Amino acid sequence: MTLDERGTVDAQGPYDTPLLQVDDLHVTYRTRSGDVPAVQGVTFTLERGGSLGLAGESGCGKSTLANAILRLLPTGTQVDGSVLLAGQDILAMKPGRLRSVRWTEGAIVFQGALHALNPVQQIGKQIAEPMLLHRTQPSKGAAARRVRELLEQVGLPGDRARSYPHQLSGGQRQRVLIAMALACEPALLLADEPTTALDVMVQAQVLALLADLRGEHGLSMIFITHDLSVLTDVCDSLAVMYAGRVVEEGPSDRVFRSPQHPYTRALAAAFPTIGDPASRLRPAGLAGDPPDPANLPGGCAFHPRCAVAEDRCRTTTPVLAPVAAGRRAACLLVEAAP
Amino acid sequence: MRHIDTNETNRDETNRDETTAVTSDVVVRITDLAVHFGAAKAVDGVSLDVAPGEVVALVGESGSGKTTLIRAVQGLQPVTAGSIELPGGESRGRRRRPDVQMVFQDPTGALNPRQTIHEIVAEGLRIRRERGDETARVIEALGRAGLRPAERFLHRYPHEISGGQRQRVVIAGAMVMEPRLLLADEPVASLDASIRGEILALMRSLVDETGLAIVAVTHDLGLAWNIADRIAVMYLGRIVELGPAEEVLADPQHPYTRALLSVVPEMERMEQQILVGETPDPARIPTGCRFHPRCPVVASGEAARLGIEARCRGEDVVLTERSPAHSAACHATA
Repeated sequence: MTLDERGTVDAQGPYDTPLLQVDDLHVTYRTRSGDVPAVQGVTFTLERGGSLGLAGESGCGKSTLANAILRLLPTGTQVDGSVLLAGQDILAMKPGRLRSVRWTEGAIVFQGALHALNPVQQIGKQIAEPMLLHRTQPSKGAAARRVRELLEQVGLPGDRARSYPHQLSGGQRQRVLIAMALACEPALLLADEPTTALDVMVQAQVLALLADLRGEHGLSMIFITHDLSVLTDVCDSLAVMYAGRVVEEGPSDRVFRSPQHPYTRALAAAFPTIGDPASRLRPAGLAGDPPDPANLPGGCAFHPRCAVAEDRCRTTTPVLAPVAAGRRAACLLVEAAP
Repeated sequence: MRHIDTNETNRDETNRDETTAVTSDVVVRITDLAVHFGAAKAVDGVSLDVAPGEVVALVGESGSGKTTLIRAVQGLQPVTAGSIELPGGESRGRRRRPDVQMVFQDPTGALNPRQTIHEIVAEGLRIRRERGDETARVIEALGRAGLRPAERFLHRYPHEISGGQRQRVVIAGAMVMEPRLLLADEPVASLDASIRGEILALMRSLVDETGLAIVAVTHDLGLAWNIADRIAVMYLGRIVELGPAEEVLADPQHPYTRALLSVVPEMERMEQQILVGETPDPARIPTGCRFHPRCPVVASGEAARLGIEARCRGEDVVLTERSPAHSAACHATA
């Protein structure tokens, strides 16, 4: 391990530790009507250059988890457990250090590209802002050169730097947000539904861009969406969340093709495979709604919507257990691996 | 305004030059339709018949004109040329037709937060002053949309129900008018994966049980596979491929359809053809085949090898039949 003068681990991080280690993370929102547990004991590891997909319905805690990794949650939110990014303890970090880590180590791309950009500022200035703030570029001139480079990297002409957000299409704005997230060369990119509002072809362009960035720059990614089929295309591994917990995880193509947890099965079936006679004129859904996080059912939180639930599912809370090599699921009815 | 309503029992009042006799086996007949916004040709020559009890998926990128097309059918958009005939049912001249209803993408934005579910669903009836058995009709529509027991929902407000239930309320508000044709603009794009299947199943069951016809605008070919009988692929104001859903998806005849299909996640058997850029400006439609500047067949040199590149660049192309009921507009595959 190399330490810099501040006593923290060198920004590059030691290559023998994983880029991100999240251990037993709990996040509880404090609201006027009481505590709302949004994330309840999530543990995972992301290796350098790896990509993890977080899937689940609205309200399952996937965005809360992503925001907790960079400590972007509202003040007063209770966060327990640990988040180590490049060996550095994010939850214990002082605010000044945290601010620089947010751009230089981990950056986030949100959905809704129109609202994330300032409408009255040229996009080049907006992309340059974090570089000048964190002094990753020595001068405005150097930052402007880097902006052109970044725009070209995300597939936009460099002279687009002088454009305003309204002069760009939705797909172009999403590219600008990705360029901005890459401004300070973070090792980790968190993408929260980055393609949800985009057209199919533009979505394919953005996914291909993210795959290139991973391949060429060794960027690590956490990709959040409810669309399991998109995750399978871009992520090595997949974690499916339900009611604040990971209910299934493993290599993405295997989780998608042979889901073990009944919830994952329902999510995977929601996006039909074109050409598969089983789904032709037979859309598959999942009856019922996700539970209210403030008032979770006892036992397995999924049991009220589960087609195969038994009596014991109402009383016993399942834990993530190995079901096959590299795969785990939290379901009482799934046979544990020998 | 050339939105045409045809009432077969009262043809003298409604007959116009553009209308021809329409048999009752179509709920809408669109003929050579054009909708222009100044120089922008959003819809530029579309013909399409929709039969009772069928689902047509209208697919294409943003800017392909698919939303403008269904807005014109609904009477929300003045027509530049061509005709839209809606046979049967009640006709009141230029007024919007109760037997053509529309469902939008975002159920939360479509519902008035200060109205109860009862008021929301009854709104169409009240506007048309059909007040007689209002509560009974609202309860029936809610039940049809899968909100049962309907009495439990009548006095609730949109914020008290879930996202999937809100979309069901929107559908109930359309179904209460007993439409023959439902126009759905990205009906599940803003919904969670789990809810998506439920709403699509509801739409399909309404078609199978009541003979309703649906035209669903979407960019999601999985939706088409799930519920559509036919697919119409639109590009830059035109239908470039039209046919039975299985045929279009299993054996696409237009390079644009092939590209759209190749970028569906999980379509591993196809090589991805990611088209560069976005749909061109409809005010500057390319010459020749309007798709040629983005066409993989032209870009790969395949068109030159086939000796048709000059036609792709210079000669407009119309839909021609590839098999019965399946047609495409492409020089290369003609």
